[in-house]
Amino acid sequence: MIVAVADTGPLIHLDEIDALQLLSAVDGLLIPQTVYEELEAGTVPSALNHLEYELVEAEETESIVDLDPGETASLAVASERSAVFLTDDLAARDAAEDVNVEVHGSIGVIVLAYTRGELTKSKASKLMRALQTETSLFITDAVVERGITLLDESTR
Amino acid sequence: MATDLTERVQEIAEARGIPESEILEQALERGVEDLWIDLVLSRYVNDEIDRETAIELVGRDRVKRAERELQAVEDDVRWGLSA
Repeated sequence: MIVAVADTGPLIHLDEIDALQLLSAVDGLLIPQTVYEELEAGTVPSALNHLEYELVEAEETESIVDLDPGETASLAVASERSAVFLTDDLAARDAAEDVNVEVHGSIGVIVLAYTRGELTKSKASKLMRALQTETSLFITDAVVERGITLLDESTR
Repeated sequence: MATDLTERVQEIAEARGIPESEILEQALERGVEDLWIDLVLSRYVNDEIDRETAIELVGRDRVKRAERELQAVEDDVRWGLSA
C-alpha cells in the first residue's frame, strides 16, 4: 500500500509529458493545500480533474532552508502520515532523507506505473526520456539513460 | 522554430547593440560547450573516464550534481520496480 504526497514538481513535470494519470499507480495520493495554491498561481493541470486525490493541510510546518512552501508542506504531511514524499527537487530529497522520510520523483512514478502494469517497458523508457527532453525538469541526459538501462535490465 | 530563432537573434542583437553575426558566434560557442559537458558527464556516468578527469574537464559542481542526480534516479528506478 503506497500513500504518497505530491509536491508541485512531479505534478507539473508528469503533466508536461501527458502522463499525470500515472499518479494513479499509488494507492492514495495526497496534495497539500499549499501545493495546490502554487499550481493555481500558474495553471492547474486539467488532467488533475481525472485523478483521485485528497487535498490536505500540513498540521505544523517548520521553515526549511532551500525549500519552498509547497515542498515544506509536502514533507511535513509525508512525515505526519508516514507517506512517500514525491518531489523532483534534489534539495527537497536531501531534506526528506535527513528526517527519514521516503522520497522519490517523477521517474519513480513512471517505473511504478510500469511495474503495476499500466505501461509497457518501452513506453516507460520513452516517458523517462521525455522528462529530460520535453519538460522543465533539469536532469543530465546520461543520468536518464542510465535509469533506462536499469529498467531495461529488469525482469518483471 | 527557425523563425523563432531568427527573431530571437534579431532581438538579442538589438538589445545588446551588437551585430547578429556576433550573437550567432556566441550561440555556437555556448551550444558546443553544453554538448561537450553532456559528453563528458555521459562518459563519467558510464565509467569511461574517472572522477578526477571529469572534474578537470567540467568542474566539481557539475560532477557532484550529476552524481546526486544519478543516485536519485537509480533509487527511483529500484523503488518503482520493487514496490
